[in-house]
Amino acid sequence: MRRFRLPPQILRLVLLTLAIVGSYLVARTLLTPQSFGQYGWYRGDALGEIASRTPVFAGAKACAECHTDVAQKLAHSEHKTVACEACHGANREHAFNHDVAPLKVPDSYCLRCHEANPSRPKWFKQIVVKEHYGVTCTDCHLPHQPTQTP
Amino acid sequence: MKTQLNRRYALVRLGAAIAGVLTLPVARKAKAAVQNFFVSSGAPKDYDATEHKWLMCLDATKCIGCGLCAEACKKENDVPPGPYYRTWVERYIITKPKPGSSDTRGETLVDSPDGGMHGFSGCPVPTAQIEQSFFVPKLCNLCENPPCVQVCPVGATFKAPDGAVLIDKTYCLGCGFCIQACPYGARFLSPVTHTAEKCTLCYHRTTRGLKPACVEICPAQARIFGDLKNLTPDDPLRQFYENNRTQVLKPHLGTVPRVLYAGLDEEVR
Repeated sequence: MRRFRLPPQILRLVLLTLAIVGSYLVARTLLTPQSFGQYGWYRGDALGEIASRTPVFAGAKACAECHTDVAQKLAHSEHKTVACEACHGANREHAFNHDVAPLKVPDSYCLRCHEANPSRPKWFKQIVVKEHYGVTCTDCHLPHQPTQTP
Repeated sequence: MKTQLNRRYALVRLGAAIAGVLTLPVARKAKAAVQNFFVSSGAPKDYDATEHKWLMCLDATKCIGCGLCAEACKKENDVPPGPYYRTWVERYIITKPKPGSSDTRGETLVDSPDGGMHGFSGCPVPTAQIEQSFFVPKLCNLCENPPCVQVCPVGATFKAPDGAVLIDKTYCLGCGFCIQACPYGARFLSPVTHTAEKCTLCYHRTTRGLKPACVEICPAQARIFGDLKNLTPDDPLRQFYENNRTQVLKPHLGTVPRVLYAGLDEEVR
């Protein structure tokens, strides 16, 4: 009986296929980043890279660590929900290094929220600037305790 | 000169190529070791993404339209100047119905000058003609089933285990498929990096135990943010749930957003 021999053209085809699949597998293992697939179909290291940015706003907790007196006053006033940096601006550098001077508060900040606007909720205190007493806000209102006068 | 293409030459070339490919992982490991030694990554080490599940809630009845959130977001995330916003505030103005018509309300006007980041002064419609008007803060809806992730051809955008939908900038090609796929218009192509950009849920803040910049800065507490896997007994998130009936934007699309709204009008989409 004659021994079965693979025809040479088929053998070449099989070898070629194996070579292509093999080189694909080798390239795949070498070129895929190590953290790919750690959580899903993406690079797991990307999470850490995105998280490595430095925050800009310090947060009200950082302010209250030193400015306890102001924080306590604020906690009992109408402005208790207002974060420090909403008016004072991002002051993270000042929070971590007290030699850095904090930013100055822009004067127009009261009106940004309190100028009358038909789109604002009705419960919110608003003034029509022309009909209100025409002086600076802080002449009559303490920013940290808005219902009290200086 | 004629190129030599004999067997010896080809074999030498092939061997060199294989040797080159084999040195790749070694080189990569060496590079990583050097990077670890010299560059200290600013990423917080003790954060495990699988142990958190973030949720953002927005109370539209509390938004006063100051736009501090949009401004803070730009500052915090270094968003390019111009009409690019990761979060913004929209103003809805619904006019009174035409006299004699049987409609309950007139036309709806939506605008967002500069994304609301400089506040809203004045009103484009006379007060007497307004039936109802309100502000709606918007941002990435942190879909549980995000269309932007489905269309990304290179796996550059993904949903992290903690619910944040993020972009791997080193993978993003800037093809813009995700920008078209997002039904909430929360993405844009950055003119600086030429990659897609979006709200990261202030990932660099949340992983450090801080609130996102927009939540931190909101003076009316219209934005409530919390961790569903680590709820405290007096968590603002719990209070929000108990006191409000919530809804999501475009529920018919099946994106299952993780951004919940309270007090929305039917006109808001």
